[in-house]
Amino acid sequence: MQATAIEVNGLRKRFGPAVALDGMTFTVQPGQVTGFVGPNGAGKSTTMRVILGLDAPDAGVALVGGQPYASIRRPMCRIGSLLDAGALQPSRSARNHLLWLAHSQGLGADRVDEVIQQAGLDAVARRRAGGYSLGMRQRLGIAAAMLGNPAAIMLDEPFNGMDPEGIVWMRGFLRALAREGRAVLVSSHLMSELQDTADHLIVVGRGKVIADTTVASLLAAASGDRVRLRTVARSQAAAVLAAAGATVAASGQDELTISGLPAERVVALLAGGAVPFAEVSAHRATLEQAYLDLTSEAVEFRPAGPVSGPGSATGPAREVAR
Amino acid sequence: MSTGTMSRPGRGAVRRSDGFGQLLHSEWIKFRTVRGWVIGMIVAAILTILLGVFAAGGGGISCQQPGRPPQTGKACLPYVPHGPGGEVVTDSFNFARQPLTGNGTITARLIALTGKHVDLSSPGGTEAGSGPGLVPGLAPWSKAGLVIKQSLHQGSAYAAMTVTGGHGVRMQWNYTGDTAGLPGRVTGTSPRWLRLTRAGDVITGYDSADGSHWTKVGTVHLAGLPATVQVGLFATSPNYSVTSQSFGGSSERGGPSEATGVFDHVRLSGAAASGRWSETAIGSGGPAALGPVSRATGFSQAHGIYTLTGSGDIAPVVPGPGSMLPTATVEQSLSGAFLGLIAIVVVATMFFTAEYRRGLIRTTFAATPHRGQVLAAKAVVGGAVAFVTGLVASVIAIAIGVPLETSQGQVVLPVSALTEARVVIGTAALLAVAAVLAVALGGALRRSAAAVTLAIVTVVLPFLLTALKLFPPAIGSWLLRVTPAAGLAIQQSIPRYPQVATTNSPAGGYYPLPPFAGFAVLCCWAAAALALAYFLMRRRDV
Amino acid sequence: MKVALHAEWTKLRTVPGPAWLLLAIVALTAGVSAAAVGATSCPPGLRCPVDPAKLSLTGVQFGQAVVAVLAVLMICSEFSNGMIRVTFAAMPARPLVLAAKASILAGLVLAAGIIAVAGSVLAGHLILPAHGFTAARGFHAVWVTYGPSMRAAAGSVLYLGLIALLSLGVAAMVRDSAVAIGAVLAVLYLFPIILAFVTNPAWQHRLERWTPTIAGLTIQATTGLRSLAISPWDGLGVLGIWAGAALLGGALTLRLRDA
Repeated sequence: MQATAIEVNGLRKRFGPAVALDGMTFTVQPGQVTGFVGPNGAGKSTTMRVILGLDAPDAGVALVGGQPYASIRRPMCRIGSLLDAGALQPSRSARNHLLWLAHSQGLGADRVDEVIQQAGLDAVARRRAGGYSLGMRQRLGIAAAMLGNPAAIMLDEPFNGMDPEGIVWMRGFLRALAREGRAVLVSSHLMSELQDTADHLIVVGRGKVIADTTVASLLAAASGDRVRLRTVARSQAAAVLAAAGATVAASGQDELTISGLPAERVVALLAGGAVPFAEVSAHRATLEQAYLDLTSEAVEFRPAGPVSGPGSATGPAREVAR
Repeated sequence: MSTGTMSRPGRGAVRRSDGFGQLLHSEWIKFRTVRGWVIGMIVAAILTILLGVFAAGGGGISCQQPGRPPQTGKACLPYVPHGPGGEVVTDSFNFARQPLTGNGTITARLIALTGKHVDLSSPGGTEAGSGPGLVPGLAPWSKAGLVIKQSLHQGSAYAAMTVTGGHGVRMQWNYTGDTAGLPGRVTGTSPRWLRLTRAGDVITGYDSADGSHWTKVGTVHLAGLPATVQVGLFATSPNYSVTSQSFGGSSERGGPSEATGVFDHVRLSGAAASGRWSETAIGSGGPAALGPVSRATGFSQAHGIYTLTGSGDIAPVVPGPGSMLPTATVEQSLSGAFLGLIAIVVVATMFFTAEYRRGLIRTTFAATPHRGQVLAAKAVVGGAVAFVTGLVASVIAIAIGVPLETSQGQVVLPVSALTEARVVIGTAALLAVAAVLAVALGGALRRSAAAVTLAIVTVVLPFLLTALKLFPPAIGSWLLRVTPAAGLAIQQSIPRYPQVATTNSPAGGYYPLPPFAGFAVLCCWAAAALALAYFLMRRRDV
Repeated sequence: MKVALHAEWTKLRTVPGPAWLLLAIVALTAGVSAAAVGATSCPPGLRCPVDPAKLSLTGVQFGQAVVAVLAVLMICSEFSNGMIRVTFAAMPARPLVLAAKASILAGLVLAAGIIAVAGSVLAGHLILPAHGFTAARGFHAVWVTYGPSMRAAAGSVLYLGLIALLSLGVAAMVRDSAVAIGAVLAVLYLFPIILAFVTNPAWQHRLERWTPTIAGLTIQATTGLRSLAISPWDGLGVLGIWAGAALLGGALTLRLRDA
């Protein structure tokens, strides 16, 4: 297998007056899980359909391994996809569904039995698909995507409707695929689903890319250099720190968030001013927070370069009250 | 399911056949793995057979001769003559004849051809035997002329030179052969000279307006003509019928007619010409109850003037209400194909629209980005399944229906094996192309209801409206030429003979286009629908 | 019931499909009727066994196919996109839902049928006398002045309404739109085809008396009434029995089967 990247360049598409894609551009690298996130209607599914040659863009190109999808001879052996797990003929069994797909790619029935086993569908493979639970349909969709043993795989909202156990399984599965050197593109409208899964993130909004970055740099940038302080003497602490040039905001009943000063300076200033405090910790944004910041502003995000986490050593990362 | 157990990239994918074949296989799996569709096809076959057998079995006849118990079925049938070509024929005429051994020539001048037919201007004219008055007049195919005939048996080989009521001079032979000679009617001032010459088993016909300038009309070869044949004058006249432009009811009105030919200058040369003419009414004596046939005959000769009157016809028997026999056609057992067609159209449409409805079409197009190939594969699979279904159903329907019709006393007009094969395979092909049309419409319209309605209505309704005479014949005939319903012509087993007056009802077995031309029209529609579907599928996002 | 009616009416008028189909009913029925009378003439001296009213209403044969499509889609589209569950959740009395659908459908089809049949009658009234079908030659007027013609016209409107109900009932039993439309078209057109092929008079008589379309369309007959297998209103009644049976079957199926 040669490494297969998914490249999307300058995609534009309108549905009547609505702009679905507005210059969508990104690349999905092999060997990592790329999260494709954005609010509903940001153009994620449309982009995926364009990649698969299902929708024609008004402008721009989408390439899989350097080729337009439609020109690939056995496309499912290059890139597997799962757009809609419910897209099944209800009276057809899982095995027969996979069988026609396999034959369309020149694959044999033995490969069908392989993926059925790997997807854990052995017990139900000969039952009509109409009776499957959502989780079983998702597994069937994954099995179909893996049928051609593709070097790239693309899943649209695979966590939708999954139970917690399924989500855990899906995360491990995606990571395993990336470890094997495949390019993995996973869309979601919930950043939390991708928090521990994605290596790389493409955040989209209103049909274009807002951020194209690693998870680490996104987090760092979103965290900034803010420090969280727990103290019973809020006003006193605020006065001391503001005097030293920091921006202080109350973020809870006995909590302050300080930006503009590193944690060491905060500790020194408080100690110097004899202000009592319970805890000083570097603020660490969650991916969710970072994502919300990004998408609410919907401005282009520039990676802040390598960020050292000066405060990260001083205390455990905590959830910030929002 | 554990992670990482999927085989590693680049390994494990066993590849088999490539190209369009694999796509066909894929679509075939799609078809056969939906139980409803398979059941639908089986239902289509069963309905085709059942309805065909029902239509075939619905036509029993019964009869009663005075003083005998009533009878049904075959027992009512008269002797049914078959012509040299194997077709069922009518062979009844009045014959003034004498034997001729070896070669010879007969010449005569026809100075008058007159006739009488049933009076259709009065109500009740169709009721034969109730004694409606005959009025003077000729049927278009009333005939009088010369004939050389193998024997006096009905259905034996012959060649004739004849003057007709409305189609001029004709040379006719062996029931189906017909060549035109001099046009125009015979009047006192414009008689017609006719001549037949026998040389071995080759017979040549001539006509002339003046008895000195002869024109050869035709030469026919009557295989196996014995040394001694019957030669002489004949007169006959088929049922007189009027087809009026009408709708919603039978417009066929007809009744018996008779023709009288007056000849002079009758000359027969050749060996063993006895010189004595004797009158034989060929084909009389059948149960007259079966057809309103006047049995008027008469022959007189005086002073070289021969007057011969006869009724009947020398022609192939064709289906339709005008026939003197309870005829049935091979394709009548296949009338159930209409029901089969509806079921097949439904399944073929769903074969495509179900994927649109479920969003499965995205999976299909992601697996095979060449949408034209998907369309082609679906059309081939849908068409092939319909063809096999249709073939099985047709063969069974014919195997049951034709013997059933025969046992009920219907005369199933025999056709050559090739024609029967064309009708049976053509019915299967008709269903196959209709299925392709339905697949294409399904792909183009994406909606089952619209596609099914369009496919069924365009194939079935033109036939129905024409068969039930809900439309004027001109419009009906036009509809059966240009709509997909033209394809039904492939089922027509008995050709239309110009020398036999009959109706043109498709239910009677007649279509305005020849079988393969009509089928080609249907194929054109299917091709157009495929092209439209291809065009739309290429343009559309899914 | 009032609520259900209002709900069904809202459902129907908020999608564009039904309006187009109703338009198609009018256009196809009146258009085909006009074409039929336009193409027919009775030359002087010929006897023309034509029923002028029936001829003028030929388009009903086509219009009924569109009526069937409208009726089938009214219920099958809900089954195909799953909205039927929403409908039944909102109105758990399923036969009531069917009754509401039937009422709305019948109302719309009757309204469209009145326009379509009026157009057909107008075409017959204007064209036929010019084509030789004059009162002087014994042809009845296709106009309000001749009772049986009006019976044929009014009956044709009712006929279309009953076909709609029959189709709706079949659709409620079958659920899948392709199968339903196939079944309905088979019921509409197959019996006349069988009639064309069957030569046995006993069976012909049975078909003419008891099949929905053949018996139902006797309502259009204004000539040769004595030779009809069934009288016009009785024929329409036979269609009514078919429609009622189909609706009953549909209501039972909706009640007994899971949505």
